[in-house]
Amino acid sequence: MLLTVTDLDVHYGHAKALHHVNLHLLRGEVICMVGRNGAGKTTLLKTIAGFLKPSQGSILFDQKPIQGLVPEKVSIMGIRYVFQDKRVFGELTVKENIELAAYPTKEKVSDSINRILNLYPKMGVLLDSKAKGLSGGQRQILLIGRALIGEPKLLLIDEPTEGLSAGIIEEILSVIGRMKGELSMMIVEQNLSVVSRMADRVYIMKEGGIFKEINDRAVIEQSNALEAYL
Amino acid sequence: MGKDVKARFRDSGGLGVILIALGFIIFGTATSIHRTTDFIIFSIFVLGFDLLYGHMGRLSFGHMLFFGSGAYAAGLLVRYATPNPFLAILAGICGGALVGGILGPVAVRATGACFALINLAFNQVGYFLALVAFAKSTGGEDGLSLTFSSTPLLDITRPKVFFGFALFCLCLIYYLLKRLTSSPYGILLRTIRENETRAQFIGYNTYRYKWFTFVISSSISAFAGALATLNYGYVNPSFVDPTRNVEVIFAALIGGAGSLYGAVIGGFSYMVISNYLARYIPRWEMFLGFALLILVFKFREGIWGNVISVWKRRTQTGE
Repeated sequence: MLLTVTDLDVHYGHAKALHHVNLHLLRGEVICMVGRNGAGKTTLLKTIAGFLKPSQGSILFDQKPIQGLVPEKVSIMGIRYVFQDKRVFGELTVKENIELAAYPTKEKVSDSINRILNLYPKMGVLLDSKAKGLSGGQRQILLIGRALIGEPKLLLIDEPTEGLSAGIIEEILSVIGRMKGELSMMIVEQNLSVVSRMADRVYIMKEGGIFKEINDRAVIEQSNALEAYL
Repeated sequence: MGKDVKARFRDSGGLGVILIALGFIIFGTATSIHRTTDFIIFSIFVLGFDLLYGHMGRLSFGHMLFFGSGAYAAGLLVRYATPNPFLAILAGICGGALVGGILGPVAVRATGACFALINLAFNQVGYFLALVAFAKSTGGEDGLSLTFSSTPLLDITRPKVFFGFALFCLCLIYYLLKRLTSSPYGILLRTIRENETRAQFIGYNTYRYKWFTFVISSSISAFAGALATLNYGYVNPSFVDPTRNVEVIFAALIGGAGSLYGAVIGGFSYMVISNYLARYIPRWEMFLGFALLILVFKFREGIWGNVISVWKRRTQTGE
């Protein structure tokens, strides 16, 4: 077991955002968190990543408790978070964005660049461009590539295909697909056809809690069947 | 190969050092050595301030505290211990670093207006300490009049030698900051300015870096303060006066925040305006205000930023 979340509660002031969340993730597994807006999916990811402190419950990563740790410690332990809004460091070049992620992991910058180019060779011509000039899809790929630096164990990806065109979504799914089996991923996604293609298991979230866990491949592969749970 | 050497020389800051040195030597020869030395010292102060503001995105309303700490540390050493000017400068730098090191952990936790006002509050306390609380040692409102001893190898008590020494210090600070801001540390500073939370999640303890930058910035400002004490031969509460913070902020904005050239050009431009415009226009500060309004609305990148933008546009269109 790579990640175990037990009885997790999170509050925003007096409002309860998550309550009694229980889930687990195996090594190499891809789970998708599905639910309507406000269900608590992003809150859950942010809590695991260390941006929010839980009011109750535990998060075990690689058998070690990580609840309440600061984000940089969580990152160094091997959990990377790809934000929803696709914001890169726009004033830095693509290469500098990669360099910046490489230093804390002590990975060679050239290895980091090669890793990203292996995933997405088209990035090669953009290395010296300012990141603010990248398209939404290129930014997403840069963010995913940057998150892979230093060989993390778990990737938390928040709505990777949101606001992107069908062609770009295919490119991103192909990038994520190549990592499948080698890396554990927890993906928040609204697009159910994407969920059907990527997920090994699905958790349906409603009103801050886990409503249902779906293991059945037959159900996962039919986006209509998933929709019935929302 | 030749192009490689040229590019490396330019990127290392060597070209900048030569241009700055030449500019000040020409101006100093044509006008007044003493006044130009003052311009140089102020430019060092702007470089220190801009490391925090332009590069890390933290606007301080209280940087005069560090300038004053350096000035008073140097002045007190000369008055009560030794008149050696080099030791006075060293004491000034250490004084600024110490004050920055103590206040930094509190200040760098804040951002935006809160950061600016915390620094202003510290500056106000420092001003009170220099003016009233420690008046017996600092000379209160009158300050301390200082005499420095001549040093055998390099006698910086002589105005021309001190001009050269101050210029060397400016070039050295420029060069070191150029190396620092071009390094991975510099990239991280720009990242903190853009989005600190994301920098944390890449794995950086941004708090430590912010504190370190605060101490470097305060040390450079204190260095400028110590040099100013040597240039004037006295130190008084105007060296730590919070109302003078606007000078360094104006200078950084005029030159173009976040650029080393911009800081030097801004420092120089502000001093030219405040020294020469005042001869012809009694209320010159009003015109400075207008100039700042124009900059904010029309030329947000400052003088240097706009020069670079025009240059880039021209090279892109092949003009």
